[in-house]
Amino acid sequence: MTSRQTGRRIASISAERRRRAAGRGGFGKGGRRRDDRMSAGERRQLFRLFFCGGVFVLLVAAKLALPARMEQINAALSRALEQNMDVQAVFSAVGRAFSGEEDLGKTADELYQAVFRPQEQEAVQASVQASAVKAAGSIRFLREYRMSAADPPDSEKTAGDGEGAELSALTYVLYSDQNLPEGVSMEQAILNFDYAVPVSGTVSSGFGYRNHPVEGEERFHYGVDLAADTGTEIDCFADGTVTAVGESSSYGKYCTVTHTGGYSTLYAHCSRITASSGSAVRKGEKIAEVGETGIATGPHLHFELHRNGVYLNPIYYVSPA
Amino acid sequence: MSRLRESGVQVSGGFWVLTAWFTAVNGWRLTAVLLGMAIVHEAGHWLVLKAAGGRAAGLRIGILGAVMEVDSSGLSYGKELLVVLAGPAANLLTAAVCAAAEAETAAGAGLILGCFNLLPIRPLDGGRALELGVSWALGPAAGETAARWAGTAAASVLAGGLAMVMLQSGGSLWLLPMALSALAAVKREGFRKKVFL
Repeated sequence: MTSRQTGRRIASISAERRRRAAGRGGFGKGGRRRDDRMSAGERRQLFRLFFCGGVFVLLVAAKLALPARMEQINAALSRALEQNMDVQAVFSAVGRAFSGEEDLGKTADELYQAVFRPQEQEAVQASVQASAVKAAGSIRFLREYRMSAADPPDSEKTAGDGEGAELSALTYVLYSDQNLPEGVSMEQAILNFDYAVPVSGTVSSGFGYRNHPVEGEERFHYGVDLAADTGTEIDCFADGTVTAVGESSSYGKYCTVTHTGGYSTLYAHCSRITASSGSAVRKGEKIAEVGETGIATGPHLHFELHRNGVYLNPIYYVSPA
Repeated sequence: MSRLRESGVQVSGGFWVLTAWFTAVNGWRLTAVLLGMAIVHEAGHWLVLKAAGGRAAGLRIGILGAVMEVDSSGLSYGKELLVVLAGPAANLLTAAVCAAAEAETAAGAGLILGCFNLLPIRPLDGGRALELGVSWALGPAAGETAARWAGTAAASVLAGGLAMVMLQSGGSLWLLPMALSALAAVKREGFRKKVFL
């Protein structure tokens, strides 16, 4: 009895299997019959699959046939993907207009900057990239030259000495005029006004090329970083007028002050800006507090000194005498 | 996930993709601020809905944000209008509080989100408010017509504006879904056959 039942079951299963195999036969009669029974949803999914497959095949074919053209399109696409408005700056500008800290004309100006010229700073840095690479090349060359010039046994003995010499040579290579980015001057300008150290902290990063602590690549650093605790008072560098108080994704909370003689200073990554835009400030007056807003790895003041739009090295004026 | 679905919350895949993209471009802090503002917005709707005696049927979260499905059968025009306007109002109130507390970024985000939702494009709150308001005053046919005209015009301007921003700045492509949705709204409001009861 059991054997007969089992036999029947096996028979029906194998029949089922045969039927299914015929259906899977693809382009035969069975295949077409399955298409007829396809629901609208299934058909849509099939269409999607074929559409995506088609796009994929087309792209591969285009890449094989016109590699140079595809390379260009690729570059243009990734440029478009990387170019983004500074949403943080947009929000902050609107917020400040809302709280009545700023008039609408200035807000419109900031919005335009944030949407259409978000990476002005980065653009400058990108143009620097080429010269930075050149400089890196010279470093390697110099290092190799030193290695081969120094005798192996002697090099250990005079390691300290040699390093110093190499460093000064490097400084010379790095900061000879052709390696500087546009709009940067290494000269020590003589200021015709009194000034004060904004924060008496240790210099954690100087003016010049450095490996960016967050982005990781070599970039020009347009100011000096003075490390200090969050909340430390930031004093104004010299008498002047606060021309901008703002917030950006890279600078965090920042403000700029214009002084006489075409000089201006910038204070970035603050936790709080206490001065308000348009107000007159005196030398040594508190204008902000140290923080780590924007792209920063710890609390510090990023301090820049400009003369008629040219970046100067602020180090001569901020190290405690 | 399944528990979410049971409670009537549907989250589309597009939402996750766009959120991830926005976070990659702008950082998680801004994403958190925006999501917080969106929660405030929906909470505004929900609280007034509860107070008015209505019932939320579900929440659909898609590319353009969340849409609360409201079982509005028992609500009068006036009450439904209040429910619809409560979301943007919650955003604007929060923005005012943030501005007073000197949190300018959050204030700006709230203001922009609130104003965006007041655009007269259905299913944004502004569009629904316009439809409800005109329907209340002049009848449902007039409400539908007004919402269509205003929606078509506003969505055209929005799509054009977003396209211009992307072209001029040569980027900010995460705005693309919003622009496409605006175009879809133009098609929906401007070219669909009118269906009246």
